[in-house]
Amino acid sequence: MVAITIDGRKTDAKENSTVLENVRSQGIILPTLCHHEEVSAFGSCRLCTVEIKANGKWQLATACNTPVAKGLEVRTNSEQAIEARALAARLLYSKYPTTKAVRDIARQVGVDVADEKADAKDCVLCGLCVRACREVVGACALTFADRGLGRDLDEPKIDFTTDACIGCGSCAFICPTGYVRMETTGDRRMIWDKVFKMATCKVCGRYFAPEDQLAFISKQTGVPMSALMTCVSCR
Amino acid sequence: MKPVAFSSWNGKIIDGRKGQPKGKAGAADIGCPVPKEGQKMSALLGWNGLVVLDKDADIPSLTLAYLKEARKLSCGECSVCMIGIDRVTALLKDMAAGKADKGALGEIEEIAKGVAKNGKCNFGRATALTPVLDAIKHYKNDFLALAKGGKLEEKACSVAVTAPCMQACPATLDIPGYIELIRNGRFADSLNLIRERCILPGVIGRACTHPCESACVRNDIDEPLAIRLLKRSAADADLQSGGCGLAAPKEEKKQKVAVVGSGPAGLAAAYRLRVLGYPVTVFEALPKAGGMAAVGIPDYRLPKDILNHEIDLIRRTGVDVRLNSPVSPLDWAGLQKKGYGALYLAVGAHVGTKVGCGGEDVKDGGFIQGAEFLRNLSLGAKVTPLKKVVIIGGGNVALDCARSCVRFGFKDVEILYRRSRKEMPASATEIEEAVEEGVKFTYLVAPANIVRQGGKVTGVECLKMKLGEPDASGRRRPIPVKGSEFVVKTDLIIAATGQKPDTVFLSGKSKVGLTDWGTIKVDEATLQTNVPGVFSGGDCVSGPATLIEALDAGNKAARSIDAYLAGKAVAPELSLKGLDTKAQRDSGFTAKAGAAKAALLNPKERTAVFAEVEAGLSAAAAMKEAGRCLRCYRLLVWE
Repeated sequence: MVAITIDGRKTDAKENSTVLENVRSQGIILPTLCHHEEVSAFGSCRLCTVEIKANGKWQLATACNTPVAKGLEVRTNSEQAIEARALAARLLYSKYPTTKAVRDIARQVGVDVADEKADAKDCVLCGLCVRACREVVGACALTFADRGLGRDLDEPKIDFTTDACIGCGSCAFICPTGYVRMETTGDRRMIWDKVFKMATCKVCGRYFAPEDQLAFISKQTGVPMSALMTCVSCR
Repeated sequence: MKPVAFSSWNGKIIDGRKGQPKGKAGAADIGCPVPKEGQKMSALLGWNGLVVLDKDADIPSLTLAYLKEARKLSCGECSVCMIGIDRVTALLKDMAAGKADKGALGEIEEIAKGVAKNGKCNFGRATALTPVLDAIKHYKNDFLALAKGGKLEEKACSVAVTAPCMQACPATLDIPGYIELIRNGRFADSLNLIRERCILPGVIGRACTHPCESACVRNDIDEPLAIRLLKRSAADADLQSGGCGLAAPKEEKKQKVAVVGSGPAGLAAAYRLRVLGYPVTVFEALPKAGGMAAVGIPDYRLPKDILNHEIDLIRRTGVDVRLNSPVSPLDWAGLQKKGYGALYLAVGAHVGTKVGCGGEDVKDGGFIQGAEFLRNLSLGAKVTPLKKVVIIGGGNVALDCARSCVRFGFKDVEILYRRSRKEMPASATEIEEAVEEGVKFTYLVAPANIVRQGGKVTGVECLKMKLGEPDASGRRRPIPVKGSEFVVKTDLIIAATGQKPDTVFLSGKSKVGLTDWGTIKVDEATLQTNVPGVFSGGDCVSGPATLIEALDAGNKAARSIDAYLAGKAVAPELSLKGLDTKAQRDSGFTAKAGAAKAALLNPKERTAVFAEVEAGLSAAAAMKEAGRCLRCYRLLVWE
């Protein structure tokens, strides 16, 4: 354990934990769009920005990817930190004005949000799907399309590699805005416009997982396909 | 030089508009890049500030052009940078369209400050909007005029992009670009980007001296990015997936080009010219292609299958590499008759320079030049291990000789260097690895005489040295200590104190001129020798330098030769020399995270074989390491 200070209150933090975990365990609300406990921190939404004292001066830092250190001082409620979070939310709202997840967070941090029909499910480039697919699933079917010098790509986006996708649906599960659509009807599942054939549980006869996903698990674990053809409820 | 009308470069304000004496400071005096002759510049907006040379310059339109270029460079992944740029652009356009009043400037300021403080990377923090703040602060009236019908034009401006690492790289590779592609797991795209300027990625990814890493901004935070290893990871990933070929030329041209020497300079020039459609013949005197990469760097640092694979890819684009084909004496007229329109001399610097000690001219096998020793090894010479070998010199060649001797089973390997470790030009890693392998280092010692008994080398008489004032190289000059003579017993002496080009092939009727140092003389801009159509570059022009410098010389020569054959002049570029690319007003906070380290072969296993000492990074480790990059792109837009 290391002793840290959050908004003037001393507290013990687990070694290797992040500022975000400790702030939230204090009951302080910090919004996030790009953070999830199961995947690595990315620090891209800038919504969890706080102030920390580093090299003797107060500096803005995103709580999700800042590790704690002995004696670290954190301010979540300073004017600077509040303004930084509000600006991030305001910019996100200006870009995605009708996306519910963005509107909710913008309201939460005090941005004026207009009353209008808001049912868009835009991709806000949080990258959660990319990290889930790479780090949790291991399929690596999703990646950021690169912008940069000499690569004239107008809008940033997530690229989908059809061949690598196993249809597990982790990306749809983790997506904060509902952009990643997954529809399962009968023996078919559609995700990112790729259609998967669902496997039937050999005990109860229900469709329970895409065949490609089972094949991927079989390949990764060495468990034969025949042993994987039972759904979770019947196992 | 024209004095500046206004400058906020590096945060320092010079303002000659308010009736103040504007002084004499020109753009170069304040560290701002300067256009070459024949290029105009009325105002420049760079990441580090605004510089106005012509007081009538249209600053709002220049700002709009800057925003457009900045948007292209922003990765768009964090919530503030690209959206911020978009928002500021929209506000400016709204003002000019009468849809926003002067209040918009306040919003622009708020966004620009916010992005600089809370951008995810250094592009957001330093480059994206910082100079826009300067523009609206110091040219406020010009911006306010937009709301009253002032003009805001989309202008085509000149653009330059750099970064501290790019600036330090002799070949100006787009380092943040290829690192970002690795971060996103796009190893093949990364390799293609590397190959645009570095056609030997696997070689350079192993044997480069990586000045980029010394320039990395993370040096001030924790450790520099492992840039060399990341480049290698892109090349390794390609090999692991079977090795993709290089693109074939889109057209075939008639004029042939001859290249003498198949080292990095010759290969880079040959490949670049081949891509442009020229039939290229490379004449190599030795039985192996690759120049110093083939016969100068031992296998434990650079396995030759890596080099040969990369040369093979170049050959498959149609470059005709002829081994065992010395061009001596050079007959340029004869080559012209065979249809060659241009010639590139890239013969390297393979001749060891004299140490300046007594008895070094005796040819008895007990005294050998380092370059020759390494060349013989690469060409398959057998070395019988003796009890003791002394290597004279402190550069990478000395280290390569010493570490090779250890591998051949020499019991006692000692390096004598006339200055101290601090002045030693060999890389720190090389020295550390050599020490691990048992190489002894003796500093502040210079050889005076080779001692022979019965026609056999038995030792070297040395003088102790002390360090005096710094010399032209900036290193402290070694001064002999009088009466300090002593003898180091040895069976073999290897001299590695310097190399020069072998220009014997130019004597006679070639008429190619040399410098006083014995290197080939070329025009700085065209890289052409005094003989029209004959170009030269690499070690034979610069003197012994690094692989990447030679490779870049080849890249540049190809552009120049292409222009020559097309009858055009080479387009001048903005000189970024002397530009402080590290300067950044707000660096923000970055959590510390150490760099990825490559696994090294255990020293005991190493010394028995010539197997590669360093392992590459795994794909996962490379992607994680790439995530440490702060994307310090620096943008300059001027008209």
